[in-house]
Amino acid sequence: MRLRGIGKRYQRQAWVLADVDVDLPPGELIAFSGGNGSGKSTLLRILVGVTRPTTGQVLDRPARVGYVPDRFPPDERMSAHSYLTHMGRVSGLRSAAASRRAEELLERLALVGGADTALRTLSKGNAQKVALAQALMIPPRLLVLDEPWSGLDSSAHGVLAEIMAETTRAGGTVVFTDHRESVVQANATRIYRVARGKVTADPESASAARPEETRIVFRAPVNEYGIPRTADWHAFAGVLTARADGASVTVHVTSARADELVLAALHDGWSLVEAGQVNTPRAAVLGGAS
Amino acid sequence: MIALFRYTMAAMLHSQRYIPPLLLFVGVAFVFTGSSGSLPVAAIYGPVSGALFVSSVWLTVTLVNAEDPVRRVIAVVHAGRSRSVLVATVLAALATSLLVSALMLFLPLVVGDHAITLDDILVGVLAMLTGASTGVAIGLIVSRLVIRRTGHAVIAALILMSVVSFPQDLPPINRLIRLLAHTPDAPDLLLGTAGCAAVALAALTASTLITDAVADRRD
Repeated sequence: MRLRGIGKRYQRQAWVLADVDVDLPPGELIAFSGGNGSGKSTLLRILVGVTRPTTGQVLDRPARVGYVPDRFPPDERMSAHSYLTHMGRVSGLRSAAASRRAEELLERLALVGGADTALRTLSKGNAQKVALAQALMIPPRLLVLDEPWSGLDSSAHGVLAEIMAETTRAGGTVVFTDHRESVVQANATRIYRVARGKVTADPESASAARPEETRIVFRAPVNEYGIPRTADWHAFAGVLTARADGASVTVHVTSARADELVLAALHDGWSLVEAGQVNTPRAAVLGGAS
Repeated sequence: MIALFRYTMAAMLHSQRYIPPLLLFVGVAFVFTGSSGSLPVAAIYGPVSGALFVSSVWLTVTLVNAEDPVRRVIAVVHAGRSRSVLVATVLAALATSLLVSALMLFLPLVVGDHAITLDDILVGVLAMLTGASTGVAIGLIVSRLVIRRTGHAVIAALILMSVVSFPQDLPPINRLIRLLAHTPDAPDLLLGTAGCAAVALAALTASTLITDAVADRRD
């Protein structure tokens, strides 16, 4: 799939995107990195075919497309299972198949709060799981995710990485955006920088060899009320996943950055519980080992 | 399309936003039917279809405007094209209006002492189809997809409804109501009302295409 000369503006206002040329080959994890207002979200909507570009062409878009918005609208009285079944049917699945697929996805994503209760009662993180699930009702050949890690609970980040890996392994393309450099570097095989409507390829991305991974368990310092501290681990470059479990946090970080992370955490009052090399390096997860 | 229709209907039913416009219609239908004394049944259907016309505009605007933009985007991705999602909304508004109005066709039996023939029912169905189709057509054009500002939309709706209803004998609405009021025999009415229904359906088709084109350019 390719974009050639894509531009977008709304009713004689400033160009949101101008002269965008992008290649999206199969099997790749492509990141669009940029801040708010850079035009990323508009670009994603053009990719999935919801927004019509003002100029340029979208070439060879696959038939099966999945789109995961950055925020799933909260006000909905339908249940998660019901919503997913409806979307599955709209995609062409038969009712029974759609219902089964919905159950399967909700279980895999570990939806908390009830697959049969109203969507509006779910927490934001769980509602975002539904947003992810609807894009996977029929495994897509183009999976587009807008800030996927931001909306999901960190407990679901592992499943998200698996899903992205499965999609690319099957020959599909995954496109995602994130404003954090560490996330982009850790996950993408190809990076495009988006700024003020212009998109440029980052030549240093697309490394086939993935760095080794270290797993570290920290214990949180506890304040005078007995409440453990939390931290934004992903703000630290090189952090791949972080999962909190009561007062401990399990962090996966690229091995090259592990020392720095430990130093910074110890300095901040955290306590080191356990550290070790992860047995299955990321390359095996992404590259094709089953 | 069936799947999209089911989804749109389910979302509408969950939201309960269909209740005020339909309640208005049912209320007005009761009032008209109850106060129509010895008028022939066909003549009662005239003002009732007029009430359906107004209530359908309201129902359509509510249905379209209440749809969350992000969920709409997701539905468009699943369906493949945005026109399908719009058509499903049109069908949902139409089906809901027609279903409720079909019940109201039997009101003259219940309220007051009228006898209803098969021809009456046929005329009634065509009249309700006319009212609902024209209403949905206008509702689309003044919805959020075409007119962004609420104030502008309300004014546009009032103007359009007046332009469609007041000129003497203009099809479909004014023509329909006059026909129903002045022609005593139901069988003679069939051709006339069928003609009005056809005009109304054509207006609905045009409105759908225009709304789709405008929404597409907007997005």
